[in-house]
Amino acid sequence: MFTIYMEMWNRRKMIHSLSLQEMKREYAGTLFGFVWGLVNPLMRIAVFWFVFSIGARAGGPVNGAPYFAWLAIGMVAWFLLNDGFRLTQKSFRSKRSIIKNTPFPIAILPAVQILYSYYIHLILLAVIFTGMAFTLQTVSIYNLQLIYYDFAALMLLLGIGSVTAPLVAVSKDFGRFLDTVLVFLFWMTPIFWSADNLGVLERIVKLNPFHYIVQGYRDSFFYGIGFWDQPVYTLYFWGLVLTFFLLGNYLHKRLKPIFLDTL
Amino acid sequence: MEIAVSVKNLTKKYSLYQDPWGPIKEVVTRKKFHKDFYALRNVSLDFPKGESIGVLGKNGSGKSTLLKVIAGITQPTNGTLDVKGSIVFLDVSSGIDSELSGYENIFMKGTLLGFTKGEILEKVEDIIEFSELGEFISQPVKNYSAGMKSKLGFAISVNVDPDILIVDEALAVGDSVFRKKCMKKMDEFKKQGKTIIFVSHDHNAVESFCSKAAWIHQGELITYGDSKFVSSLYEEFMNGKKTIDSVRASIDYEHSIEQISYGTFKDEGFTIRLKGYIHDTHQQDISEKTFLVIRDVRTGETATKPLSKSGKGFSVQLNAKEHSMFFKPGKYSFNARISDGSGEPAEFSLWAGKAEIRQHLENRNNRFNYQFSIQKNILELSIGNLDKLEQQVNKIWFDDKYAYIEGVAFVRGYETRTAEAASMMYYMTNLASYERLAFPAVISETEEITENPVYNPQGKVYNFSRFSVAIDLSRLENGLYESHLTYQMHHAPGYELVNLVWASKQPEYPSSPYILANQTIEAITATKYLRWEKKDHQLQEAIQ
Repeated sequence: MFTIYMEMWNRRKMIHSLSLQEMKREYAGTLFGFVWGLVNPLMRIAVFWFVFSIGARAGGPVNGAPYFAWLAIGMVAWFLLNDGFRLTQKSFRSKRSIIKNTPFPIAILPAVQILYSYYIHLILLAVIFTGMAFTLQTVSIYNLQLIYYDFAALMLLLGIGSVTAPLVAVSKDFGRFLDTVLVFLFWMTPIFWSADNLGVLERIVKLNPFHYIVQGYRDSFFYGIGFWDQPVYTLYFWGLVLTFFLLGNYLHKRLKPIFLDTL
Repeated sequence: MEIAVSVKNLTKKYSLYQDPWGPIKEVVTRKKFHKDFYALRNVSLDFPKGESIGVLGKNGSGKSTLLKVIAGITQPTNGTLDVKGSIVFLDVSSGIDSELSGYENIFMKGTLLGFTKGEILEKVEDIIEFSELGEFISQPVKNYSAGMKSKLGFAISVNVDPDILIVDEALAVGDSVFRKKCMKKMDEFKKQGKTIIFVSHDHNAVESFCSKAAWIHQGELITYGDSKFVSSLYEEFMNGKKTIDSVRASIDYEHSIEQISYGTFKDEGFTIRLKGYIHDTHQQDISEKTFLVIRDVRTGETATKPLSKSGKGFSVQLNAKEHSMFFKPGKYSFNARISDGSGEPAEFSLWAGKAEIRQHLENRNNRFNYQFSIQKNILELSIGNLDKLEQQVNKIWFDDKYAYIEGVAFVRGYETRTAEAASMMYYMTNLASYERLAFPAVISETEEITENPVYNPQGKVYNFSRFSVAIDLSRLENGLYESHLTYQMHHAPGYELVNLVWASKQPEYPSSPYILANQTIEAITATKYLRWEKKDHQLQEAIQ
């Protein structure tokens, strides 16, 4: 039932070095290299802050956390989810030249993309974390919870990626569809607005597993809430991840012979 | 014999959809919306360890699919695959990323092949050296030429030390020095007991490098065996000399000419005796059902002789006198024809790759030059004239029931002062039935050659060099005829020369077909060799 994940675990060293090479490849030929991986998200955070806080005059503190910091932390988490989701769904399709010519365990490709996104994320997180620590004194024991939420995010992405990657490899249309879903998720996940204001709709918004991660990041920075404080939501999240895992494993086995031919 | 890769009953089917919605419609309606395309059909093959095996086939024949299945890149639809050892699949661009530098690509590909960074670091020096890229190794691969890319790909693949190396046309790109180096490296591989599977559409490469070869045609394994045997069959097929059916027939029978003894004798032409064996698939001797067929390679005309049983195989003897107008200057191949009573008889070239040749030559005053040789594992006879006949048709015209030809013919250096110096004969051969008609050529006097300084710089006398022929058109059947001229010298050295009739003075010949009763007769000189065609007149009009 978990064969592809066993394979990933057994090949973890390979995944690690492939993801580093992915980073090299991404920034090959640029002079500033991974600095671009930092400039771009920081710029986007600044733009959103400007639009919502100055432009729309909506940027009051959220439950006591300054809006800019609250937005930045949410965005940091979101960038990981966004990149992971976007890259994993294409992981077979974008590596078709390798898949078609080199015999190697292709099941690990989604994991490579996730780890690559994670390394980029770590750089951004380090910068934001340091900035926050100096300006807002946010350092607390609850910061350690980030390790848990990162792990949760990685597992969620792995589950979703294992489901989407083989489907996208089989059908290009599905890839387009997922791109659209991602835009939808971006606005529907409470990243620059707070779910607290919604009342009944809050429950529905919370069904989105991405919210669990984004909220978790904020809890760890500003609110000092542990994941054990919301056991039902945690249980729901992991149940969903497990479902994705099972479905992903099934789809991979089922669709691999097809997409090997059609890619 | 140890087997490195064993493939059994392998079938690979692709579904081809005309309609892009086809796959979805199929799920919904459960009807079939695709065509099945079989890239491989029931292929069974064993690749022995420590040998290099060639896989031959045209583009699109399924050979690359077979390799991809073996390499594990594609999954077979049916059948089993058993691979012992690690495989490296080498083709020009495999796993090379054009954005990364050559150096980074070594690590990239190494990682994909399952090596750790430390293991790659040990090899990287060797790889760079082998690739001959020098300082280009730190440049992005997108700046490489195709040759450099394939050098890099090859250098990585051979240096990671696989048990089985699959080479897919990759060597076509590199220069000859690098190619030699690769061949040397692959030879080393063979000595280390590693297996090489070499895919190509070039039979020469396979013949020179591989001990065994398989031939795949339209997804089916045609034959598998000795690389020389397989590639000679393949070449015959690719040249269009044979259809796939006749190739199959020659594989169904096991055959070989083992001994060729021939002699050439004064005025007698030659005598040849072939000894060998021919077996069917049940190892039964079938000499008595088989005919030796000698085929004129140019026209397709044949002469046949039954094989007779002798000892464990067959023996057949033949001399040129039996077929005196058949054996004329040209090229001849030796084939076997088997009729088992049902359907078309099978005809194929007898394999002579290991034949022993014994010759007894007595070259004085023979009719022609006879030369037997083994070309690409097949016995070939080529016959040449003893001297060169200069000849040209000057005029062709029709009158009543006759066609007339007038021309000149002479052999340089042999004067013709009287009408008795030589005699000529004009032959017409029907190219469908090979029926031959003879017309005597009358020799008369002309100063055309004697007075022509181009043909006669030494000032010799060739006064009796004009010939004229009257062809009785009623003797011709409908069909296409080719023309020969034989020139017999009556004085020493008494050569007999046989040539196709040369007619290159187009304006001097009739430009339209001649109508005689219900038929048309046309002199065709488009190839500069004179041919005739007779057709029904009405039929021709009806077509127009």
